[in-house]
This record gives sequence, structure tokens and C-alpha cells, in this order.
Amino acid sequence: MHTVITKGQKEYPALLQELGDAPKQLYYKGTWNPKLFESCLAVVGTRRMTSYGRRVTEELVGEIASQGITIVSGFMYGIDATAHKAALRVGGKTIAVMPCGIDMIHPADQADLYKEVLDSGGLVISEYEGNFKPLLWTYPKRNRIVAGLSQATLVMEAGEKSGSLITANFAKKYKRKLFAVPGPLTSSVSVGIMQLIREGASVATGAKDVLDFYRSNSEFPLRFIPPAGGSPTRLQEIQSSPSSALEEKILEQLRREPLESDQLARMLEVGIAQLGAALSTMQLSGIITEESGKYHAH
Amino acid sequence: MLIKVPSATHFGLESLGVDVEINVANRGLPTFDIVGLPGQEVDESKERVRTAIANSSMEFPQKKITVNLAPADVPKEGSFYDLPIALGILASMLGFEVPAKSLFFGELSLDGSLRHTRGTLLLALFAREAGFKKLFVPKDSANEAAIVKGVEVFPVKDLEQLTLYLLKRETILPAVYKETASSLDSALAAEFDMAEILGQEKTKRAMEIAAAGGHNIIMVGSPGSGKTMLARALPGILPQLNEEESLEVTKIHSVTGLLRPGGALVRTRPFRSPHHTVSMIGLTGGGTKPSPGEITLSHRGVLFLDEFNEFPRQVLEVLRQPVEDGFVSISRSKERVRYPARFMLVASSNPCPCGYLNHTKKACSCTPREIQKYQKRVSGPILDRFDIHVEVPDVDVRELSQDAAASKFLETSLVIRARITRARETQRARFEKESFDSAQGRPIHTNAEMKNSHIKKFCVLAKETEQVLERAAVTFQLSARAYYKMIKVARTIADLEGTGAILPHHVAEALQYRWKQNISE
Repeated sequence: MHTVITKGQKEYPALLQELGDAPKQLYYKGTWNPKLFESCLAVVGTRRMTSYGRRVTEELVGEIASQGITIVSGFMYGIDATAHKAALRVGGKTIAVMPCGIDMIHPADQADLYKEVLDSGGLVISEYEGNFKPLLWTYPKRNRIVAGLSQATLVMEAGEKSGSLITANFAKKYKRKLFAVPGPLTSSVSVGIMQLIREGASVATGAKDVLDFYRSNSEFPLRFIPPAGGSPTRLQEIQSSPSSALEEKILEQLRREPLESDQLARMLEVGIAQLGAALSTMQLSGIITEESGKYHAH
Repeated sequence: MLIKVPSATHFGLESLGVDVEINVANRGLPTFDIVGLPGQEVDESKERVRTAIANSSMEFPQKKITVNLAPADVPKEGSFYDLPIALGILASMLGFEVPAKSLFFGELSLDGSLRHTRGTLLLALFAREAGFKKLFVPKDSANEAAIVKGVEVFPVKDLEQLTLYLLKRETILPAVYKETASSLDSALAAEFDMAEILGQEKTKRAMEIAAAGGHNIIMVGSPGSGKTMLARALPGILPQLNEEESLEVTKIHSVTGLLRPGGALVRTRPFRSPHHTVSMIGLTGGGTKPSPGEITLSHRGVLFLDEFNEFPRQVLEVLRQPVEDGFVSISRSKERVRYPARFMLVASSNPCPCGYLNHTKKACSCTPREIQKYQKRVSGPILDRFDIHVEVPDVDVRELSQDAAASKFLETSLVIRARITRARETQRARFEKESFDSAQGRPIHTNAEMKNSHIKKFCVLAKETEQVLERAAVTFQLSARAYYKMIKVARTIADLEGTGAILPHHVAEALQYRWKQNISE
């Protein structure tokens, strides 16, 4: 079965068609649905995502995808994979653009995610056929498709020489909107972001900034799709409230910044045993979450 | 003239009586032969005996000497047959009687003096069991033999002294057991005191719980976070061995030669930390004559495996059965022995190959694939053996030393040890009766050793507590095994607090030390 759309066909995405260096053909897996391409957002970022990057990606992308915007990304580890997952979680649509032949899954250990993307009605596309192996030069080529398919590009976390900056440059070249999500100045994966902001990228401080752009652009009307059977996003989760003075104090600290239990114990001058019990209880009631040793308030 | 001198041989930690028969014949060419499956060391004994006698101002007989070690079909190894063989030759020459109900044991030096010989304690235990009354052992080994009551231990300096004693021209005073100073205080055994380590409150607490309940613990953290230092401080908070445990450990130390000359009962728990290049045999024990490995040497103590992920997978896999059973059976073509191996497993590992995953200051340079490969080096069944899992965060020492709260939380090892000792006593009382009617008849000492049947019996959860656990099982997706582990750890936390019932906050704290799956996911 050959599934390919060539440049010039009426199904070929309009946004891509207008580019000078548009791919001649697009191979795909899944069901080609032109509606998928109506309003797309490219979400790109580092492979070496921090826990901050993950949280922000999950929250922003979850909310944006739930509004019917298709999330386009490169199926890599880190921000890419998290963005695809966040879209799937809220029942949204997502497109994965591969740097390799259409019959390959790259990286291979994300086969589960691959299947999920297709099962949800999403698409996997590539300009290469068969089992063509990904090469150094195919990654930036792929990035032009990611940027080209989308009205806007959202960069989450990017190091100094991140591939996401290449995608960002394509977005600029194609005169598309570019959003950057600021991160802590101390983080090495904030360097690329700060550079983009200096160069004039719009700062996205929440899903609203991105959604406002799509809303104001009547060309890309927003269809409101309520999440069908998908689980609610973190923001919408029902939260219980802290039940003791200690829990309240913990929450107050964690709202300021995520902390390890040792740091909390010293700040609140509470024994580690008592603190540990409180933290577990709060986790069970869904007030806080833990990731790589640090606790986050919702 | 035929002389019989009683001695013994060891199989693992068991002993078997051996009769050393010495025949000095006037007829035949002057030769010196040993028969009865002697090993290399036993065969070399000929030269030591010959020279030792010559150097003890006596003459070695130019006669046909035949030594038989009976029973003849059991392989004999070790250097301790020197003394009985020399004694037999001297007795036949000088015509004195070998005293009845006496055992002789010891290695000779060429100058005729007796050297510290391994396995003396085992011999003394055998002597009492087999009804011997007197024991002649090297002076340096006499103290460990004197641990055993009911047998008179004679410390022998050299061959000449023993000969004069048996000719009734000199007296040897029986040894009186003395404790040595170093065997008494285990707090001195640790390299570091817990109070020397700033911060790491959670890991220290995890160590305390692990030590109190005998739980296996794994620490994951970046280089320099203090995992090794914390592990090395562990001996200082471990409770002293009780009499029964102490004897078990001393036996192992005696047979492997870890007991120094003049050594007494070992009171401190062993702490072993083999390098990750250790072989399978080195860890479990073995060899043609099976000798104890690291897991046996750490019996009733701690086996610390630093850089856990660097150990070859096959080497770690052999730990599975001993960790569950508390002993290891080694079968070789000629021998089958069983060594005790009830130890607390302490492991430390890096989170990824470069070590800086989730580090606050340094960036990790590993790809997700590398991280996954690294974490998969250790098999699931092995990780399942750990009750307590703790992530050790990196610390900024300069920052910590200015934090008043950090110093406020410091506790000395002695203070922590007092709490642990109390919790262990609670456990001993709990399992005292259980030792006899448990399924396999092996006594259990700690919460970590509880099987599911024990958990059902000793860890009855109140409705409220069970609700917390049920909820955790759903939220954290706990497996059935993890569920039971949480109960065991909660039991220990309650014991540390001195509470009979397991309350919700005990379970809640135990959940802090659960295995967090999909760390990299």
C-alpha cells in the first residue's frame, strides 16, 4: 500500500505548498485528514528536558491541544515526545514528522507512542520512503516541515546549539509566529530560549498567549473540541486542600519553588520522619507531585 | 611403634574427627610418608615437622615413618596436622604417653614454635561436642578456643615446651578467655560518625530504618553526594551482635583466618565492601575446597556494593537466592557445604552513566537510550530484593555549613544506635516464639526476614491504615510485592517509634522509600 501525497495535489497542506523548498512528496502513516492541517502548532525543544520543561510542556500543550489545535513535533526524546503525549492525553490531535524513511520508527524504543499517535487519528509523515536511515542532514530537513506545517512554533527548552533553534529559524524564514517559553536563567537549556527572546520571539507565559494568537487570526478559526473520553489535564484535576498546619506550611513553600524533602525539613525545621509522612499524604490527596526527588505544588 | 593422636578436619563450618596415626618402624629404609588423601599443605607438613624437630634440640629419627590420616577416604587440607604428626613422632621416640581425651591442632614454624592457626574456634566447638576434655593449640589461637566453655585449652608456645609438659617437667597453665578492647565498641568500627555528615536527612533516616529492620537499601545519587560516606558510617549505628550471632560470626572469621592472633569473640557487625570486579565465586564462596565468599563474611552484618550497576549482571544474579534464604549451598564434585549468609544488602549507584542526571548544577550528558541501558543492567528480580530505595540529592556543602537547621538536625551515631537497638529488641521479642514453628524452622530476627505469613500475623492493619495503603497502591501503582514491602518497612518505623500498632503515618512515611518506577520516563 503506497500512501503518499505529492506537491500540487489538492490534499497537500496549503501552508507547506507556499514554501519554496517544500518537499516534493509526503509519505504518511494513518488516515490523511485535511482538517488536521487547519490549525497547527509546532512544539519543539531539547532532548534533555528538565523536570521544569516537562511540567510546562504538559500544561501548556495539554491546554492548547484541548482547544483543537494540532500539535506538530519531531518525535524525538524529551520535549518532542512529551508534547505528543500531552496532546494525546487530552484527546487532541498530533502529527509526528520523521527524519527517516516512513517505514522506520525512530527512536525505536518509542514504538508505543508511535502506535498511540496513529490510534488517536493522528499522522506520522516523512518526505523519505521505505527504510531510509536518519542522517545528520535529514534532521534539519525534517525541521523545515515541522515549522512549515504550522502557523506558529513554540520553543520550550533549548540549549545553545539545540536543533530546536533550527526549527525556530525556519519559522522566522517562513514568516510564521515564534513563541519562546522562558526558563530559569541558571539552566543550560535556557540559553537558546533567551537568545530567541533577544532576537524578537514572543514570550509565551501561558497557553493563553498562544491561543490568543490563533483566536485573533480569523484565517485559522478555532474549533472547540471538548476532550472526548480523554483524561482531564492537571489543571482541571479536582484538588483537595491541605489538612494540617504542617501541610499548609509545606504547600506555601512549594508554591514558591519545587524543593527536595531535605531542603523542606531544614526550612520548616521539621523532623524528616514527620515531614515524609506529610509529603506522602499530600501526594495521595493529589495536592503535590514528586519528580526526580523534588516536590511540586499544583 | 604405633601412636594415635586425635585431631579434626573442617567442612565448611562443620568439623569431623580425624585420627592421626603415626608408625615409626625400625625396619626399612628411612622415609617419611603421609597417606589418607593429604592435600598439598598436609604433604608439605613433612618438611616443617622434620625441621621443627631438628631445631627444637631433638633429633629427627632416621627410621621408616608412616603417617595415616583416618578416615582415609576424606580429603584433608590445612596446615594444622603439623602438631599431631610431630607429637606422634616425639612420643614414639621419647616414650611419653599421648594424654587421653585430648585434641592437638596447630601449624609449626621451622624453628619449632607454633603459629596462629585458622579454624581453632571450630575445633574447640567440635572438642566439646565430641567429649574431649583438653585442647592443645598454638598460644596465639588459644584465646579464641577459650571462648568455648567446658574444654581446657592449653596454649602451646613451641614443640619443646609441649614435650617438656608431656614429660611432666614443665607446666602449662590453661588459657582464660579475655575480651579484647577492639571487640567491644562498635561505634569505633565506623570510619565516620553520622554527626560528621551535614544534610542528607532523608538518606540518614532511610539508613536508620534499614538498620533497625535489617532491610536491604539502595541509594541512587550523583557522584559526590555522599553515598559512600553514608554507607561507611553505617557500622556505627548498627546494634552489637548478641551472644548467638557473635558466635556465628566468630566461627566464620576463625575459619577464614580473619581473626587476628589473640582474637576474641567478634562483637561488631561485619561490614564488607568488595570492589565491583569481584568474581561470582568471590561473592558466594566456592573453589575446589569450598571456602566462604563475601556474602558469608558479611553474615549478620552489611554487604555494601558500591557502584551497583557496574557489577557484572551474572555476579549480581547469584545474590538472589542467598538474600531470600539467608544461606548459600555450595556443591562441588567432592564436597557440599552450606554457609550462613544473612546480611543486609546496601547498594549505591549513579542515576546514569555520567552520573549527573537530575543534578542541580551540572548537566547530564547522557542520551535517554544510554540511561535506559544503564538502568537495565540490574535485573528486576534483584531490584525487588530492596525494601528501601532512596534518592540521594547533591548537596552544596558551603551552603549547608551556614544553614543553622542543618547542624540542628545532626545526631551522633550513638544516639541513633540506641534507637535502633531498642527497635531490634522489640523485634526479637516478637519473633522469639516464631523461631520454632515457622515453616522452615529457621529463626528470624528482623522485620525484613518476614514472609507473607508473618506479615499477616504480626502486621495487622487498622482499617484507617489499610485505606491509606489501598489508596497508595492505586495512586503509585504498587505491585503486590511492593505492597508487602511497604508494610514491612512501616512495621519497622512503628518499632522505632515504639508503637505496637501500625498507624497511617507509619505507612505514609514508608511510602517515601518505595521504588519509583519509570524514573527516566
